[in-house]
Amino acid sequence: MTEPILSVRDLKTSFFTQRGEVQAVRGVSFDVYPGEILGIVGESGSGKSITCMSILRLLKPAGRIKSGSAIFDGQDLMTLSEADLSDVRGNRIGMIFQDPMTSLNPTLSVGEQVIETILRHRKATRAEARARAVELFELVRIPSAAERLKSYPHEFSGGMRQRVMIAIALACDPKLLIADEPTTALDVTIQRQILGLLRDLQQRLGMAVILITHDLGVIAEVTDRIVVMYGGLVMETGPVRDLFATPKHPYTRGLLASVPDLRDDTHRRLTPIPGSPPDMAHPPSGCPFTPRCPHAMRICATDLPPIFGIGQGARCWLHHPEAPPSLLPSREKVPEGRMRGPSP
Amino acid sequence: MTAKPTTNAMPLLPLSGGGREGVSEEKTPLVAIRDLHKHFHVGGSLFTPPATLRAVDGVDLDIVRGETLGLVGESGCGKSTLARTLIRLHKPTSGSITFDGTDVATSSERDLTPFRRRVQMIFQDPYASLNTRMTVRDLIAEPLEIARIGTPASRTAKVHELLARVGLHADHANRFAHEFSGGQRQRIGIARAIALEPDLVICDEPISALDVSVQAQVVNMLEDLQDQLGLTYLFITHDLSMVRHISDRIGVMYLGKIVELASNTDLYARPSHPYTQALLASIPVPDPTATRPAEPMRGEIPSPLHIPPGCRFRTRCPLATDLCARAEPELRDIGNGHLAACHYAGDAAPQQAA
Repeated sequence: MTEPILSVRDLKTSFFTQRGEVQAVRGVSFDVYPGEILGIVGESGSGKSITCMSILRLLKPAGRIKSGSAIFDGQDLMTLSEADLSDVRGNRIGMIFQDPMTSLNPTLSVGEQVIETILRHRKATRAEARARAVELFELVRIPSAAERLKSYPHEFSGGMRQRVMIAIALACDPKLLIADEPTTALDVTIQRQILGLLRDLQQRLGMAVILITHDLGVIAEVTDRIVVMYGGLVMETGPVRDLFATPKHPYTRGLLASVPDLRDDTHRRLTPIPGSPPDMAHPPSGCPFTPRCPHAMRICATDLPPIFGIGQGARCWLHHPEAPPSLLPSREKVPEGRMRGPSP
Repeated sequence: MTAKPTTNAMPLLPLSGGGREGVSEEKTPLVAIRDLHKHFHVGGSLFTPPATLRAVDGVDLDIVRGETLGLVGESGCGKSTLARTLIRLHKPTSGSITFDGTDVATSSERDLTPFRRRVQMIFQDPYASLNTRMTVRDLIAEPLEIARIGTPASRTAKVHELLARVGLHADHANRFAHEFSGGQRQRIGIARAIALEPDLVICDEPISALDVSVQAQVVNMLEDLQDQLGLTYLFITHDLSMVRHISDRIGVMYLGKIVELASNTDLYARPSHPYTQALLASIPVPDPTATRPAEPMRGEIPSPLHIPPGCRFRTRCPLATDLCARAEPELRDIGNGHLAACHYAGDAAPQQAA
């Protein structure tokens, strides 16, 4: 197997607030391989965005990385000097965020912002940088690219602003692109355009992408592998097809069962997950999903399980090699609707 | 709680179960909107006249008692303005709104009081829509106090009953909204909305701000409340999967107009307006093995300051012809009460994905 481009190990990040320590990320490990799209899926407060902000060391002052490493291209981003790190950010790792309006400078033309990024990381004349900017605008399919360089962010629609953000992120041919909820603020028709564009660019440029989202549809549509996060931990990981076809962790199963199936005509009642996500100021000592889990056992409340399984792994005691098979929820008993396979 | 509407001879539809056929048969609708316009004047100065933003630009719509009418469309299509005009947060520019036989489009504030009790709203953001300085008891009792219903003691009893209805405990009444999670806050907002036993509840993106695992809890609860209280819902959302699940009929809006209206099954099985077709094809399906349409819809929604003449969708439509530039298509019945505003819908059906 090829070497991962990014290897995150045991990352722990906390925020120190008036309420005390909020443990947002509690020991996260995953790999990203060249040329793949890795999806990180989770609900608000699951730690998915903080994980990526920690990798780039872009946390707000209250946030602190307590331990862990993130090896990118042979260097540990956690121990890199600030100067070396700023050579990585925006250069070898590109970034896109949810709200393109707050990520762009409203007082500069968009062209200026692309050119600025190029000049900061590359030896180029202004004219060369400008030519590259036009090329990038064409790459992200902004019509009449050369003229639109002079426009300001407020003169663009949300979808076009996100295209500008992508152009800036791609300005220096990054090896890795981190996209945090890039289409959440957009309408579905525009979302499809942007997702199609991302997929297309990823294949053409051969870069790796981390796509963070709460939308299972988006995950299914564009990613190759996924990491499911809950309570600051990775709960399940595996190839996207396996994970959707046979989710192993009760949380993943619950998540997939709680969204309505567009192709289902029967109008059956939805199957929600009862309760609400844990308070990370007081994280549970066992599996964070225990209070909401229909299969919780005594050990689940006290001991955090490791990830069981290779390829598709789940952080769940049900998958302990010595757990009696009868404990495993049978596929028929899983909230039906989402499961494909042998069931009629 | 006896909020059952006293309409005669109109059995309530079996809502969350089925009831998808024949919803719009000959019945007196609870709400009848005719040629409704809401225009805003924006910009302008001493020398330049303000531009007219046509947010709602000629809407005809009936809402039948007991149904859930879904309203979908992209941001800027006017769906929220339509809802806000319907409950008279905005004064309509022109057109009529008949609520249970009374025209409320031009009524004075004083005359609207009975109407306001019968129509309530659930808002998108449960963090912004609840006063953080009020206890849950006061938040839920406030509508009763404004309507001068009951005594403080009977109102407290009512609050406890409402809390139970929305799945919260009586001892939550003395707490403040910030102590609750998003899903619980939305339950408080729903308890407030049903406190006056309204006929119509307008749900403006009620689940968009909630986590996926909590959305289903709230949707199931809305369905239960509808069955128990005989509520009518206008459900506004951009979530095209959830709207199909919850609605009996669905209206699709584009640039201030309804371009298609059909039963939920019919709309998804036979989308007849090219815009609806593109919209439905854009929904991300949570199934990695599903086939995706190759071509996304081109372009973006034009500004409501400059609505294209003729068919308003023609600038993005793959089927547009000269006719579309010349004549604006009427919203017409293309069979079985399925309405579409496209010259080529129905008989001359545009090609569509099976």
